[in-house]
Amino acid sequence: MSDILYFYMLAFLMLISASGIIFAPRMYLSVLSLLSFILFSSLLYLTLNAGYIALFQFILSGLCIFIYIFLLLKKIGRLNLALKLVKPLKIVSAAIAVSLFGIFSCLFFKEEFTNSLFDIFNSVIEKSSDVIHFSEHIFPLHLMILLLFVSAVVIRVFLLSSHNTEQNEDETKCMKEQE
Amino acid sequence: MEELLNIGLLHYLVLSLILFMIGLFGVLISRNLLRIVMSLCILIVSVIINFLAFGCYCDKNMDTANVICVFVILISLIQTVIAIVILYKIYQKNEYLDAEKIKDKEI
Repeated sequence: MSDILYFYMLAFLMLISASGIIFAPRMYLSVLSLLSFILFSSLLYLTLNAGYIALFQFILSGLCIFIYIFLLLKKIGRLNLALKLVKPLKIVSAAIAVSLFGIFSCLFFKEEFTNSLFDIFNSVIEKSSDVIHFSEHIFPLHLMILLLFVSAVVIRVFLLSSHNTEQNEDETKCMKEQE
Repeated sequence: MEELLNIGLLHYLVLSLILFMIGLFGVLISRNLLRIVMSLCILIVSVIINFLAFGCYCDKNMDTANVICVFVILISLIQTVIAIVILYKIYQKNEYLDAEKIKDKEI
């Protein structure tokens, strides 16, 4: 009984926080909803016996992205940015499109769930003869985090240098026009 | 009623489908580019739940699903980081992150 309650509670909290990301009235609430969404999804992974993935996602996708977006918003001064949606007609058409997608997906589940989906997955598992020891072959977590920061710094330096060259070109153009 | 109380593969698939629909809806209706990027995170999480659910219920030791999920998480992370850097550049140039205004503006 506790597992059932745990699943439904987590599913409910995930749906609420996912809605919060889209419909939160202020930007900082939206970012906090993202963090809570990642936290609840990581807890849901624990019910699927995927503790390593839960930790991996919570640290990388949760904390890193949360801090990254939060710092960006603080830097550009848009933490209190109000919610802006597209025109009502577009919202209605998007709702229709998404519900159509849901209906077609349910039909797909109904038709294919008991037959081909299981067969495809089982055949893939059975044909792979190699035994993988996941924990031995996966990169260590700290190496991944290091790679992430190195790539972010490289991208930042690259963009800054391109920005400076653009500025220099603009300045030379202005100088020539003045002359 | 018994189907609701016996948690199985279908429950996780339905949850991931609903999350995918919410994320897609967010991508379609948001005007703020940062909210669109965050909606993409919802889509990615729904995909990961799908993989893990299939791995848990169809594979005994879940190795295949774990490896796929690690790749999905890393690729989504890199995509988010690069998207945020591009958004920052757009903000530096235009002083706003409104998708409608950027769409109308000639680049």
